[in-house]
This record gives sequence, C-alpha cells and structure tokens, in this order.
Amino acid sequence: MTKKTIRTIPQERTTIPEQPVAERIHNFCEVALGYRPEDARREAERCLLCPEPACVLACPVAIDIPGFIEQICLGKDRAAYDIVADANLLPAICGRVCPQEDQCELVCPVGDTLEPVAIGRLERWVGDRALAEGWDTGAAVERSGLKVAIVGSGPASLACAADMAKAGCEVIVYEALHEPGGVLRYGIPEFRLPNHVIDAEIANLTKLGVTVECNTLVGRLFTIEQLVDEMGFSAVFVGTGAGSPRFMGIPGESLHGVLSANELLTRCNLMGALEFPAYDTPIDIGTRVAVIGSGNTAMDALRVSLRAGAEQVACVYRRSREESPARLEELIHAEEEGVEFHWLTAPVEILGDDDGAVRAMRCIRMELGEPDESGRRRPIPIEGSEYDFETETVVYAIGTRANPVIGQTSKIALDERGYIRVDEHLATSMAGVYAGGDIVTGAATVILAMGAGRRAAAAMKAYLGIRDTAVVYDERTSADRRWFGIDAGERNFTRLRLPADDAVGVGGT
Amino acid sequence: MSDTKYLFRRNRTWWVKVAVPAALRDELGYDLRRSLRTSDLDEARQAREPVVAEFRRTIADAERRRRRMCHEPLDSGSGFVVTAREDFSDVTFLLEVHHPQLARAAQPGQFVLVLAHERGERIPLTIADFDRDAGTFTMVIQAVGKTTREMQLRCQVGSTLHAVVGPMGCPSDIAGAAKVVCVGGGLGIASIYPQLRAFQERGAFVIGIVGFRTEELIFWEDKFRRHCDELIICTDDGSVGIKGMVTDGIEVALARHPDVDELVAIGPPVMMRACAEATRPHGIRTTVSLNPIMVDGTGMCGGCRVTVGDEMKFTCVDGPEFDAHQVDFADLMSRQRRFRDKEQFAAERWARSLETDTADAPGGGRR
Repeated sequence: MTKKTIRTIPQERTTIPEQPVAERIHNFCEVALGYRPEDARREAERCLLCPEPACVLACPVAIDIPGFIEQICLGKDRAAYDIVADANLLPAICGRVCPQEDQCELVCPVGDTLEPVAIGRLERWVGDRALAEGWDTGAAVERSGLKVAIVGSGPASLACAADMAKAGCEVIVYEALHEPGGVLRYGIPEFRLPNHVIDAEIANLTKLGVTVECNTLVGRLFTIEQLVDEMGFSAVFVGTGAGSPRFMGIPGESLHGVLSANELLTRCNLMGALEFPAYDTPIDIGTRVAVIGSGNTAMDALRVSLRAGAEQVACVYRRSREESPARLEELIHAEEEGVEFHWLTAPVEILGDDDGAVRAMRCIRMELGEPDESGRRRPIPIEGSEYDFETETVVYAIGTRANPVIGQTSKIALDERGYIRVDEHLATSMAGVYAGGDIVTGAATVILAMGAGRRAAAAMKAYLGIRDTAVVYDERTSADRRWFGIDAGERNFTRLRLPADDAVGVGGT
Repeated sequence: MSDTKYLFRRNRTWWVKVAVPAALRDELGYDLRRSLRTSDLDEARQAREPVVAEFRRTIADAERRRRRMCHEPLDSGSGFVVTAREDFSDVTFLLEVHHPQLARAAQPGQFVLVLAHERGERIPLTIADFDRDAGTFTMVIQAVGKTTREMQLRCQVGSTLHAVVGPMGCPSDIAGAAKVVCVGGGLGIASIYPQLRAFQERGAFVIGIVGFRTEELIFWEDKFRRHCDELIICTDDGSVGIKGMVTDGIEVALARHPDVDELVAIGPPVMMRACAEATRPHGIRTTVSLNPIMVDGTGMCGGCRVTVGDEMKFTCVDGPEFDAHQVDFADLMSRQRRFRDKEQFAAERWARSLETDTADAPGGGRR
C-alpha cells in the first residue's frame, strides 16, 4: 500500500445518509441512517494512519482508532470490530452518541486542512456490522472466583462491567428500573439510539458472563455495606449517575404541564407514553411546547415533542447560540426540524389558567456581559424587556443533580453537592467501593462516563490483585496474530485464554 | 343498485373485504381480504358467502381470544408471584407478593412501585404489611383507575407482576413519640398499619383511628386491635363506632389524651389536610404520607414534586412522609389531577373493551 498523504486521500468527508426532515419529524426512526459499505471504505481511506495517533489519546476509552480504520480499508470488518471491542464493548452506542467533534475528530490532523475523518461514523458502522452479523468478542473467560457488584446500568456501569467480566470476575449489575441501560434507555430517544441497539450490546455483555438484575434499588433493597459485608462481593462500582432534575424556583412550577425533561423522556422512551392508550402511561404535551435550556437533553426533549405531535416547539436559552452546550449536530438537526430558538431569553414566571394548567410563560430578554468562571459570557437581564409567551407545556432541561439514594443510605463520603468523593483511582471512602461517571463528575457525556467506568475497572483489578492488561492495548503487532483481543506474542496474561474444556461463558467461535 | 356488499374490484378481479373492529387491528390488520379469482359479478356474489363467513369466524375467534386475555390472570413470567389475595369490598383488595429480599428490607412508611404488565404504568403503592419469615409483603389496593381495576380483575393467586421495585422512600421516624395517634382513611387504612405496629413494638402508647364508610367495609380490625392501646373506628353512617369522619375521632382522642405528642395520618389528601388542621391549634407534631403521581421512584423524573414549607421536595426520595403543617395540600391535589382526562379516557376505553361483543362484526365496504 502506498503511503497516503493529505493530497491522495478523498478530499470530501463522506456524508451519512439521513432521513428527510419532512418524514422524520413524524416518526421515531433513526435520523442518521448509517454508512453503506462503500461509504465506510471510502471514509476509511481518508485516515492517514498516523504513527503517533493523537485521536487515541483524545479518546476517553483509548480505542486504537487507526488500527481499526486500517482494517476497514483492508475489508477486514471482523478484525476492525475486534480492535474496537478491545477498548469499547458498546461501539454501536458510542458511534451514535459520543461527541466525537470534541474528542478524536478534534485532534485529527486531516482536520487541519480538510474535514476530519468521520471516526464516530466509522465506529458506528463497525458496531452495526457486528450487531448485524452477531459477532461478539468470543472471549473464553477464566473465572477468578471474585464477585463484583455494579450499581446502576448506565454507560459507566456497563463499561466497568465489561472490563471486570473480561478479568474473570462474576459481575452482577443492579438496575432500579425494569429495563437495563440507564440514561441510554430512558434518556436518549429512539431516533438517536434505538432500543434494539442497547439490547444487542447488553446481550453481548451477558455473553461475557455479566448478569443484569433489574428492579433492584440498591440502597433500599440492600445497602452498599451489605453488598460488601453480607453478600460476598469483593468490590463494588457505583455508577448511579446524575439524573435528579433541577427546577428554577420561579412561580408556577407546580402547574400541570410543567415537567422535567427527564420525566418527558422517561415517559416517552421507557414507558411508551406516545402509544397511549395501548400503553398505560399517559403524557399530555398539547400543541405548544417550550423547553428551557439548550443542552443535549433539551435537544432531545424538543425533538421528542415535535414527534409527539406538538405544532410549535420552542427552545428558551439565556445565552446565545455560540454558548449552547448541545452538540452542533443535534442543534442543526433541531433547527432543520423546525424548532424555534429564543436565544438570550430567560423565563421569570409560568402563568396558569383557572384549572391549574400552564397558559403562558413570562420571559425576559438577556444580554451578555463579562465572562464568568466557566469562561462563558454571563447573561444579564435587560430591565423592562419582559414579554409573555403562550405555551401549554414547559419542559425544564437546565441540568441535573446527583441521584440521592446511595448518598442517603450509605456512609460513602459525598462532596458538598451530593456527588461521591473519589481519589485519583476513583476509589471512594469505603474500601473496595469505587465510583465513576456522572455520580462523581456531575452530568457529562456517555463516553466520559464509559471512560470513568474503565478507569475504575483498572483500579478495581489492581485492588483485587488481578494483573491489569494495559500492555495488551499498547504492544499491538498485527490483527492477524491476535485471538480474542490478545496479542499472540503477549506472555503471562491472565485475562483471557483460548477456550479450554472448563471454560465458562463461551460465546461465538 | 347492484349488490356489492363485502365486494370490491381490483383491476378486473372481484375481491371480498371484511373490516376488522378497531380493537383487533393490531392483530389482524385493518381488514381481511381475499381475491375471488373472477371478473364476473354474479359469480363473485355466489362465492362471497363462504369467504365472508370464514372471515367472520376469524374475527370472532380473535375477539374471544382478546377478551379472554383481558380477563386472564396476569402472567409475565417474572419472579414476583402473588401468593394471596383478599377482597375487602368491591373496590378494595389485598395482594400478598413473594419477594424475600424486599420483605427483609421493608420498613414502616415505605412503598413499592408496581408495573403490572409490560405495557402498564408504574404506580406507587404503600407497603401495608411484610412478613420477613415468609418472605412476603402486602399491598392493599383501591381499584379506581384503569391500572388498578385491571389488577383487581387479573391479579389472582399465582399471577406474576411484571415489575416490583422497592422498598422506596425514607422509613418513618418512629423514635420520638411516647403517645401517638395513627389515623388511616380510604386507601391509607392499610398503609398506617406497619407504623402503628412499629410504634407499639417500640413501646409507645398507640391510639388508632380508622375511618370506613360502613360496617361491612371494615377490615383488619383484629390486626389493629392487637397493636393499638386504643382503637377508634369511625363510620360515615354510624353503624360502628363514632358516626363521622376521622377528624371527629381525632377530637375524641385528643380530648381523652391531652398529652399526645405525635399524630400520623395516611389517606386521601382531603383527609390528611383535615387532620393537619385538627392538630394545628394543639401544636402536635403531625406527619402525613403523600402519594402523588410517580414514574421512576428514584428521584429522576421530578413528577412527584410537592411544596413543603417554601421548598420543593421529591416525594419518592425526600418523603413520602412530610410535616403535615408545612405541606401545600392544594398544590398536591391539583397535581394529582394532571392526567385526569387521559386517565378517565383509559378507564372508559378499558371498561368498553371488556364488554364489547363483536360477534356481529361490522360489515365491509367501510373506508
């Protein structure tokens, strides 16, 4: 293969086929339809296969990005999947919801002159191929006899569960809702992340020997202390997330029609409220919806409202478009779909009718002042600029707090805002108990949570005396010489073995 | 006028078409149709009858299956098995569910969230009793909406519920009081029982007050008597005990025992508000257990928010028990009506689906 240069690669980034706007606002099918094989090959050709790839360092879970892209170029999709799955067992999910433009794609050298390589779309393509073909990591795991409990089944927990299972631990994931997946399930809508993708990726985890127990509220059904002291778990990972919605404390918040984005999304995504009365959970958003906030959750709430039949959907944000924390792709999709944006606007009061329902929202115009501690320009209200804005539903998407149950029921040390306090190894104040994801950092992204889950898993392995396998990821030779993600030249590993007679949890080949 | 009932023509061929009742369209499609393989209308008319009859049989069978399903005991294959059921009246019934872990963990004042079947709704229900040895817990349910009426119809001994999660909420504080009044009304009668028992076991002097409509509806009297130092029963018609509301009972109790230092009330919001007003002049610490609309029960949706004092609280994680003198009951009652229209629609639709008799399915030709 001749060496690729910036001049020889395809210059244009391969576009991803999307559902037309007019159609998609009436259905919950995915907006981005995914690459076709020829798209993937063409886009893979755009990677320069840098010898010292910056993208790998920028990836929270350190996927060998040039490695898997090279395999796509060669047409070896299975090998590409194996490389991705080494670092990330949930590629179909991450390819869809990671903010790649701020991570791997941000540092891609191709992006200096052209559009960066569409790493996220390629990852998704690999993940989708694996799901379609039924590939799994095919690992034969040698059991270590250690039991690990994972509290919560969101992205941090699933990433941690995968690594601990590969290390031979018996892993039990406890989930309070009746379906696993955490925010992936209740929070991210079907058109961004279909439920069948979550099911398939979790099924891959169960093939590794992970058990998922739903309907289990850890803290109340049994405590973290009981997991360690009475139930025989050697280590515990807490990944309960930050899902407790914030409100603003302005008048009128208890009117009917005022709800948190989490409530809207949970009712629609998890409980099937849009199919009421075939499903029993109701939702009533009326024809006009206003969403306060402009993050990714707000975009989801806006776009779900459109699909639920609202005619006029508005986003109200106190800063301007430049400061909006949502992913640009989500913002553009929302704009395309006809969401009205009211930048530099903040609600001051919600007005109700005699029946206790929302009638309108009183807003005030803002202007941007000096930058605050977050580096964003502080919004300042313009006096006398109040106006009324007619709406039937007001959705709060202005951020969340730590989920409180673990804090209420265990002696784990929390910080002053209720998040779990951890050291640099993500260990909590309780021996053998680790934590990661939003419950430590506050609301962030799926992939940062997964990165935290993996870092915690590495620390837990060290705590349990299981040799960490970072070397396996570093000293890569060629994919042909690898079985089950292990380099044939690698010696003395304890993580995975070729299938033995007494191997448990064997899946696939 | 030519007779083309159930018939339509596609290209030159005649087809039979029979419309499917709305309730069966998920299963059978919008209509049943079949080609008669003829372009002659007279032939088509002759061939029509047996096909229409067959389609009608198909529809009737599907309808029978569906109706049987509406009445069939719930069975989701989960481990949450109903081990006992008792009917206290035409709307109130008791379910005992096998869940050893939950029975071991449950504390007075806590609740569970129940999802009866896959397409159901998550509803909060107070734990009315728990037996740690038998590994069971008990819920007492009032069949008022679609979900609870469906449970009343379909939860039999041996049925399984799709999901049961709990115990949720903060346990009651039973440490403080030396002399306590426990008030239960409506759906709160059973809910007050675990607390009352816990107070008594802790050594407090317990005065129980329970309100029923009439004598026939009284249940658990023996259980209450066993754990109360004094039991006051109030009935609307005066058939037993005091004639009047539980608040009349509270007056009697407070007159007899001026040294009461706590009152706990569970029941409909109107009743709890009345109890709060009854104790306010006496300055007695009063606790109520709220039961607003919830989805997840872990503090993530905020649907169960209530105003207590000047603060917003989430009932599922901050409660369910709050200081009655601080709770904004008007707000609570208003929020319970959030989905009134939809709830009523669902209940009516469900009631209709039980009754519909579609043996005589609507004819064809309807578009």
